[in-house]
Amino acid sequence: MSKQARIIVGVIIIVVFLVVGFMSFMDSKIEYVNFKEAESRQRTVEVKGQWVKDKGEKFDVKDNTFTFNMKDDFGTEMKVVFDGAKPNNFEVAEAVVVKGKMKDGYFHAKDILTKCPSKYEANGSDVKGNEEKKPEIKN
Amino acid sequence: MAGKILIYAAFFASILSVVTFFMVHLGKEKYLKFGRLFFHITAISIISASIYLLYLILNHHYEFAYIWEHSNSELQLPLLISTFYAGQEGSFMLWTFMTAVIGIFLLNYVSKGDRLEPQVMSIYALVIAFLAFILILKSPFLYVWDKWPGDVEIGFIPEKGKGLNPLLQNFWMSIHPPTLFAGFSSLAVPFCFAIATLMKNRYDDWVKFSMPWLLFSGGVLGLGIMMGGYWAYGVLGWGGYWAWDPVENSSFIPWLVTVAAVHTMIAQKRTGGYKKTNLILCILSFLLVLYSTFLTRSGILGDSSVHSFVDPGQEVYLALVVFISFFILLAIGTLIYRRKELIALNLHPNKLLSRESSLFLGTITLCAAALVITAGTSWPIISKGSVDATFYNKMNLPIAIMIAFINGIALLLKWKTTPEKQFFKSLMFPLILALMVTVGLVFVGVQDFLIALFALAALFTFFINIEIAVNIVRKNRGQAGAYIAHVGLALVFLGIIGSSKYSKEENISLQLNTPTPVPALGYTFTYVGATPFEDPNNKTDTKYHFNIKVEKDGKEMTMQPIMYFSEFSNGVMKNPDIANFPTRDLYLSPMGLEQPSQFSEKDIHEMKKGEEVKVGDMKVQFIDFDFGGIEQGGKEMQSGNFMMGATLKVTDSKFTETISPKIKYTNGEPEFIPAGMTGNENYEFFFTKMNVTEGAIATVAIVDKRNPDKGNGVTEETLVITASIKPFINVLWIGTVVLVMGFVVSIFRRRKELNS
Repeated sequence: MSKQARIIVGVIIIVVFLVVGFMSFMDSKIEYVNFKEAESRQRTVEVKGQWVKDKGEKFDVKDNTFTFNMKDDFGTEMKVVFDGAKPNNFEVAEAVVVKGKMKDGYFHAKDILTKCPSKYEANGSDVKGNEEKKPEIKN
Repeated sequence: MAGKILIYAAFFASILSVVTFFMVHLGKEKYLKFGRLFFHITAISIISASIYLLYLILNHHYEFAYIWEHSNSELQLPLLISTFYAGQEGSFMLWTFMTAVIGIFLLNYVSKGDRLEPQVMSIYALVIAFLAFILILKSPFLYVWDKWPGDVEIGFIPEKGKGLNPLLQNFWMSIHPPTLFAGFSSLAVPFCFAIATLMKNRYDDWVKFSMPWLLFSGGVLGLGIMMGGYWAYGVLGWGGYWAWDPVENSSFIPWLVTVAAVHTMIAQKRTGGYKKTNLILCILSFLLVLYSTFLTRSGILGDSSVHSFVDPGQEVYLALVVFISFFILLAIGTLIYRRKELIALNLHPNKLLSRESSLFLGTITLCAAALVITAGTSWPIISKGSVDATFYNKMNLPIAIMIAFINGIALLLKWKTTPEKQFFKSLMFPLILALMVTVGLVFVGVQDFLIALFALAALFTFFINIEIAVNIVRKNRGQAGAYIAHVGLALVFLGIIGSSKYSKEENISLQLNTPTPVPALGYTFTYVGATPFEDPNNKTDTKYHFNIKVEKDGKEMTMQPIMYFSEFSNGVMKNPDIANFPTRDLYLSPMGLEQPSQFSEKDIHEMKKGEEVKVGDMKVQFIDFDFGGIEQGGKEMQSGNFMMGATLKVTDSKFTETISPKIKYTNGEPEFIPAGMTGNENYEFFFTKMNVTEGAIATVAIVDKRNPDKGNGVTEETLVITASIKPFINVLWIGTVVLVMGFVVSIFRRRKELNS
């Protein structure tokens, strides 16, 4: 192959790679949105918010789904159904991030992330041992 | 005090070392012994500071904030030692320590013969200066009263430490981080050689000098990454060994570039080509280490990663930005300074059918993978969002197929040029063999085209490498490193295909003592109850084994996934259990335990004495417990046969009434006797629990009879697990071990070449 031909082949490969990469990138990027925006989107998104404690939570043993109500940062409340059991630290999380999509009027979550930023951080009053009483965790 | 002084000493000595070595570079030979002296002072200060920190940890000096936050006296020795690097300050200390130790060996290495000593060491000391500076900003030697002035008075010594995060309480904690950091630290060496050679304007022999170091980095970093994967898989219960998490990615990217560099450096050694490529790759691999540190330590990915560290504070963020910017500018500056000489280096004329061309192609493919992963991992910085793991899988599958094919082909090609006929002839045998096995796999169930192609490519390179490795081991053992590493890689690829693409998973609910009616994944599971056990490293929490009887074809075994409530994390911790068979793993991940409850969560109210709650149009106030004449904690209560109530004042729109729902205990078994208002029959009140340890708290369930919610529908204690089968995962683990062994053999070969 001549040098020129080789450069052409190289450029073609690079362009194809970039185009394919860009397309699959656009395909799989996940946006952070609120519930209102999630409804208008057909694809997987992430929504951050808080668990609405008053409405409780429920694990359905037969379907293996965990259901709870969540309020996003804009105040929209939504029923969330998650394929799986209650995630770690669910009760104490200060925020919950759900990943999934809207379906049949509720948010169908593939994944739940619980945010406990205080987990690794201590403060001065902890040092002295006068920690706050921890909430009792019920079954 | 001593710790801080040592860090400051290291910082200033390293600066002096940079300056004096640079003077030597400028031609003032007499400064050489000062440069060496200052470097030794730097290294010894850092090593002493590390030993001092370890001493403080082993002797439980909780007046140091770092030790108080991460350690406690319950931990057994290996885990106690590992609290050294359990937090951010300590892991910077570990990184600096590793860099210092490697530095001593490096100085010894470059001082022999003409190995670019002043140039290499001035840059290397500069790296240490930056690390020491971060340790000054983020010191592990801070007293609690310095960290929280105002809250803690000077001289206060906490009695016990907060302890180690239970997620980290594990054997792998003892070896995974040090291995990874040894890899990270050692990548500074090829970087220094590249910059040094640019300073010296001599582009031939640096490749020979830095080769053993580069191989060391590749092997050790690879080993560290693999340990992390095994940790995630075997203990943390993430279900898999690789999740394309930013923290995983950021150690994988420098590894890919390192491995790419190894290949073109071999080509340069043989043919003299790819000089510029190699300079750039060696520079890039270290800059990527810094970038990775920035991504994972600056808190910038806090929203998108499960295990990014917390925000380290403004100063450290800035220091990291300066650190990485400085070295990027240094590299770019040096390259620009030598641009004329670099352009003058001739492009090496090479034939397409030559080993060097295929090595170059391999390097390009590896860099493409690195680019894809970097783009995905960096995305959250640019935009509000993240990238799904499918992106990495989709993009890297074709790249991995190419890598496997190129790898096989490269070994059949000769340096400079290969006669076409001979090449295609040598291609036939391994290709036919691989095709035959692939066809077999397709019949067994590998029906996805790309996956089948991936299997074909992996088998192809596997057979070629095995053949060559066997021949070479007979003749010249020392040369077999590359082939061993590639056999390992082929096995890794095959293991990935089996364990991820053909993994089967099922969520199963197991009622106590009731076998699964239909076998799941071919097994019959029976949950037979939980047993507490003691963990010597964690006496605060009671851990439970959840015993599951697993039956198949008349054979029976017990598997014991673990769950417990962790005081430290204030949450439930879960560890999987794995049954390892030659051809597959059975992986049981506990998800949760459901206890029968008669009431729905939303109907349950916990009330302190005097507290009032609103339910519908009613106000309910808890007045006091009604012991009905029995003594609290007295004989009747201890006998387990008694009755007690909770006095409630209920006010609706019309009436106010005082009612008393009761619990009746018979041999310790509770029975709830509800009460209701006479004027309002809509609600029924149950008294379900009394708590007198934290003041008088009554738990009351108020059920709306018009619309009763029947609790969680669980009638028996139910364990929920995710069971999965991971086929041929052993092939993956064996492959990674073989891969690392290949690196080790290669290091010895390149060391030997150096001396000859």
